[in-house]
Amino acid sequence: MSEKTLEIKNLKKEFGKNKVLRGIDFTLTDKERVVILGTSGSGKSTFLRCINRMEEPTAGEIYFEGTLITDKNIQKMRQKIGMVFQHFNLINNLTVMENLTLAPVKLKLMSAEAAEKRARGLLRHIGLLNKAKAYPASLSGGQKQRIAIIRAMMMNPEVLLFDEPTSALDPESIGDVLSLIREVADMGMTIMIVTHEMGFAKEIASRVVFIDEGRIIEEGTPTEFFKHPKTPRVQEFLKKVLY
Amino acid sequence: MNEFWDKVGELFTTPQYIDSLLHGFLLTLQISFFAILLGLVIGTIVALVDTSKHTKWTILPKAICKVYTTVIRGTPMALQLFIMFFVIFAIRGFPQIIIAILAFGFNSGAYVAEVIRSGIQSVDKGQTEAGMALGLSKTTIFRRIVAPQAIKNIIPALGNEIVTVIKETAIVSMVGMYDLNMAAKDIGSGQNMASYIVPMFVAALFYLATVYLITFGIRRIEKRLRKSEMRA
Repeated sequence: MSEKTLEIKNLKKEFGKNKVLRGIDFTLTDKERVVILGTSGSGKSTFLRCINRMEEPTAGEIYFEGTLITDKNIQKMRQKIGMVFQHFNLINNLTVMENLTLAPVKLKLMSAEAAEKRARGLLRHIGLLNKAKAYPASLSGGQKQRIAIIRAMMMNPEVLLFDEPTSALDPESIGDVLSLIREVADMGMTIMIVTHEMGFAKEIASRVVFIDEGRIIEEGTPTEFFKHPKTPRVQEFLKKVLY
Repeated sequence: MNEFWDKVGELFTTPQYIDSLLHGFLLTLQISFFAILLGLVIGTIVALVDTSKHTKWTILPKAICKVYTTVIRGTPMALQLFIMFFVIFAIRGFPQIIIAILAFGFNSGAYVAEVIRSGIQSVDKGQTEAGMALGLSKTTIFRRIVAPQAIKNIIPALGNEIVTVIKETAIVSMVGMYDLNMAAKDIGSGQNMASYIVPMFVAALFYLATVYLITFGIRRIEKRLRKSEMRA
């Protein structure tokens, strides 16, 4: 069954006079893995951040599993829309364990014991169980980002948004983070990811979306997109990034 | 030089002198303590109003806070004290100590508000976003994430403000209150020791010791707050 996870209609975002998103229509189906590409300043991060209202859209409608997202229900919606940030955003005054359990326990999605057990399992899985009591300041970038990913997983989200998850990492930890994302994808998670990692995009995407000047100008399967780009803009972009 | 130490001895052993000095010191501490407390309460409220979201309900409170901090920070403390004493509380028999506490408390509140506001605003936006993305409420985000991190930024500057208030209370001698500063002047006057150097030297030591103790305490708190977050 292919169910609509997200349906976005005519999404616009302006920062003052700067029109960052100029009307985006987009549908995300369950189990899809959409990679969003575009140059810096094209609006791809803003697009992602409008979905869970990290940025307030100027106009447009976003439906999550058929329900219109509003100011009133956004908090509830965010519990089901996970997000992984470029700068990890682990909570500095909480230990790794507290970072993982705070939201599920506070929002009464799990008991404290169950959350801790789940967190331990996930930490063991990524080989960081020994960091459970550590504070984020003592972790490397790669460790922080992997913990940020399992923190999002703790909420059992319906969809996971990745906003340039490897852009702030050193080359060595990029591999670790990408393989964790790959694993999450293989579990059947619905994913939207903004990235500059072309190889990874090609490999993981079920659909590629290209944003330019606040509009989706091309989308398709990775094969179509990378082998036979239709628009001159994408052809030019691929020529620059692939060689 | 011996004469100096003899005078110091005289000050500490003559009941009349030492009593006056301690009396003054006590008043300085009382005014400082309650003024700082009042300043913290006012400052916290003003900072919270100031950093709250812009809505039609916050326009007026925000404007009032803005006027308050601007006026307080833009006029001399001594003048504010005079206005409190001779204009607002020009009531015969009204306890002077309360007027002084209000004057210093209202003054300190404006500075504390700035300290707290900048402490809250210096917390990385990503920290709030992390909480938002997890679906936490604004209250939870503030209480569990923003406030604990802001306090770390606030404590050192707050220490400075506390020290400033203690030293600044010395101007209550201008309205005739018998604080540590006034006591030093009185003890040194012609009817008493007839020498200002010793009582003023001792008063300086009292201020210095108080300030040092507080600075030391603040450092300890700072250190403990920092340590808790670096533990591996």
